Amino acid sequence: MSDETFSVLVEPLGQTVKVAAGQTILDACLRSGIYLPYQCNHGLCSTCKITVLEGEVDLGEASPFALMDFERDEGRALACCARPMSDVTIEADIDVDPDAMNYPVLDVEAEVVDIRTLARDIKGIWLDMGGVEFPFQAGQYVQLQVPGVQGERAFSLANPPGSRLLELHIRLVPGGQATTYLHQSLKAGDKLRVSGPYGRFYVRESSSLPMIFIAGGSGLSSPKSMIEDLLAKGVTQQITLFHGVRQRQDLYYDDLFRMLAEKHGNFTYVPVLSDPQPEDGWTGETGFVHEAVVRHFDGVFRGHKAYLCGPPPMIDAGIRALMKGRLFDRDIHTESFLTKADDKAPQRSPLSQRM
Amino acid sequence: MNAMPPLKQRKLSLKERYSHLTRGLGWETTYQPMDKVFPYVSYEGIKIHDWEAWEDPFRLTMDAYWKYQAEKERKLYAVIESFAQNNGHLNITDARYVNALKLFLTGVSPLEYSAHRGYAHVGRHFVGAGPRIACQMQAIDELRHAQTQMHTMSHYNKFFDGLHDARHMHDRVWYLSVPKSFFEDACSAGPFEFLTSISFSFEYVLTNLLFVPFMSGAAYNGDMATVTFGFSAQSDEARHMTLGLEIIKFMLEQDEGNVPIVQRWIDKWFWRGYRLLGLVSMMMDYMLPKRIMSWAEAWEMYFEQAGDALFEDLSRYGIRKPKYHEVASKEKHRLSHEVWSIFYNYTHAAAFHTWLPTEDEMKWLSAKYPDTFDKYYRPRFKCWSEMAAEGKRFYNPTLPQLCTTCQIPMGFTEPDDPTTICFRSAEYKGERYHFCSDGCKDIFCYEPEKYVQSWLPVHQIYMGNCGGAEVKDVLDWYHLNFGVDNFDYEGSPDQKLWDEWQAQKAANPV
Repeated sequence: MSDETFSVLVEPLGQTVKVAAGQTILDACLRSGIYLPYQCNHGLCSTCKITVLEGEVDLGEASPFALMDFERDEGRALACCARPMSDVTIEADIDVDPDAMNYPVLDVEAEVVDIRTLARDIKGIWLDMGGVEFPFQAGQYVQLQVPGVQGERAFSLANPPGSRLLELHIRLVPGGQATTYLHQSLKAGDKLRVSGPYGRFYVRESSSLPMIFIAGGSGLSSPKSMIEDLLAKGVTQQITLFHGVRQRQDLYYDDLFRMLAEKHGNFTYVPVLSDPQPEDGWTGETGFVHEAVVRHFDGVFRGHKAYLCGPPPMIDAGIRALMKGRLFDRDIHTESFLTKADDKAPQRSPLSQRM
Repeated sequence: MNAMPPLKQRKLSLKERYSHLTRGLGWETTYQPMDKVFPYVSYEGIKIHDWEAWEDPFRLTMDAYWKYQAEKERKLYAVIESFAQNNGHLNITDARYVNALKLFLTGVSPLEYSAHRGYAHVGRHFVGAGPRIACQMQAIDELRHAQTQMHTMSHYNKFFDGLHDARHMHDRVWYLSVPKSFFEDACSAGPFEFLTSISFSFEYVLTNLLFVPFMSGAAYNGDMATVTFGFSAQSDEARHMTLGLEIIKFMLEQDEGNVPIVQRWIDKWFWRGYRLLGLVSMMMDYMLPKRIMSWAEAWEMYFEQAGDALFEDLSRYGIRKPKYHEVASKEKHRLSHEVWSIFYNYTHAAAFHTWLPTEDEMKWLSAKYPDTFDKYYRPRFKCWSEMAAEGKRFYNPTLPQLCTTCQIPMGFTEPDDPTTICFRSAEYKGERYHFCSDGCKDIFCYEPEKYVQSWLPVHQIYMGNCGGAEVKDVLDWYHLNFGVDNFDYEGSPDQKLWDEWQAQKAANPV
């Protein structure tokens, strides 16, 4: 086994993933957000069969009944046991998303130019990329290296593509090392290592269906970028944004979205408070955001595209409501905001692994 | 600066290539109306609006399929050959193990053949090209499984008893009507219910409880030939399980009205499958000389844990866990003991041998079933072993009452009381029908017209349709050799032969 890290170019996506020493190609792909079909995960069932187009791999423990001799001769491998021995190009049984632009991942040292409080526990941070062109699709995220913190943290980009500065929304996670630093110690003029863009959460522009955006808390970031981008491009289908927060003081960019709704006849904005206070004088929607979505659409979602961004319980409740209203996984796109503390995701069956 | 490299012509994905290859296969007929050509596709009440929405999980062409299966066959038969040449049967842990194979060959392998027929039938009757191709390939897989299993185990037939006429026994022997009627229930349902019963409930939800115990059991007990056909079959399972998930998803997404129909099928086929697995539970806890894990542990791992994740995902579609799953969990600490006891009672009419667990084996059972074994079952085995020592080995001289639905003798106990036999009954057109559980009763009551036709072996024997009035006559009719294939392992020709081999081995150490 090699102790080097190799690059694996995954066709037909054209995306590259890094595979660490001892790591399988399947593991590396899944961790980079590329879903390869798989089932047994130990070389017996052959669901994860791939073709190695270039380079060399160690076939590992693939069963002789799951990976035939003639297939080995033809360069097939099982991704769940195959480990690269050089940089390789593989072809996998993946549906190509016609909307994926596959922009290359860049590593940039960015300068913090502005920090503003957006809501009670959310700060906006604006980054100057120092003249580096940084193409991304609205909805994607970047990874930040936060000084003094191990590993990287993911934050969605809130600005539409093409703007000069990158905008991030950072919610203060109680006891969270990285967000505490970003809230309390970061100042204008500081430098931050940024890599990206990452993720498969972006608008499926090949579809002409009306769109529903559901955002929870700082999960407004991606939808803001996506909606600003769509409206600027002049799309004509209906766009409805629901933003769920607890109280009035948690709501942000309210003025911006009210203004956009006035300006664009096809855009509707619905802020929702789950715990309005008497002093908020709130007359708008209340309750959980998915409940407001159900009321707004009378519980029928057939014929829409839905984009959900926010904490896992909101995403789960949103998916349930949409599915009950006859919208299914191919039309539901989600970005779950996990914190370092929710590393343990609930166990899922292969039924929903694509979602 | 130009950051983007020019976009190169991207390759077609496997899915796209496959759809180019198969386009146009699901054409609209013109000489005859569609509903005449596909007469079974609507009467179950399942509404399909768009067959094109079926995502073909197979993506395999016929020529590739032959190539794969041919190599699997070559490898398997090479192993079978070398197993025979090396007298592999001498290396198993103990001859009692072969009784698990007798159960498998008579109870499970014929089901593979029934599955072959079932998939061939429904493959003809779906309108969409996707499910038709999927069913066609699975039909051929199942035929292959049936054949390779028979070929693998035919080696044991040269030395051991009870393996000589599995196909005939499957159609006649009393306890084999349990798996046989299970599959005939599925095959005589409509095409959508068939796929829900076999592809989803059996292959997807419960398969690990059938295949893993038998194949790990084979590996633990030195039967490498059987392990190899297990691998060979498992390499097809990915396709079969994917078909099970796809059909469920497809029905649930196509129409809201399908949800309650699918739920009822999941309820029914969960319970039918679970009852069938009672045979596996006794195999795991009593028939393997070297055990893998207990039935209770297997149920927890493969149904309770894996099922939780699956049914959590299905709940988004409005599907809940199968009805009576909690009864199955309550029964996990007693199922195998109750089933083994039934066979101990009736070993004079069975195609395999039974025995009482040894002291060491009872220690294992106590450890695996701390709340039930010593309290309820050890005293029973102690009593039977004392009776046998006095020359009064206990046989049940009358024939048991059978459950009309699952056809298992009424030996199961009340969900909340392991000391009281559970009896349920229902009346239909002036006749009273009996059931082992609420699950089996519900299934009958929903479709009584179907289950009143059950061919219940005990009734048939009493009606004189099974060769005669004596056990020996019935066994002749089963093609069982009285005094050879039946009765206890202790004193059987199998045991005699095995002991001779062991003595030779001891006399001629390698």
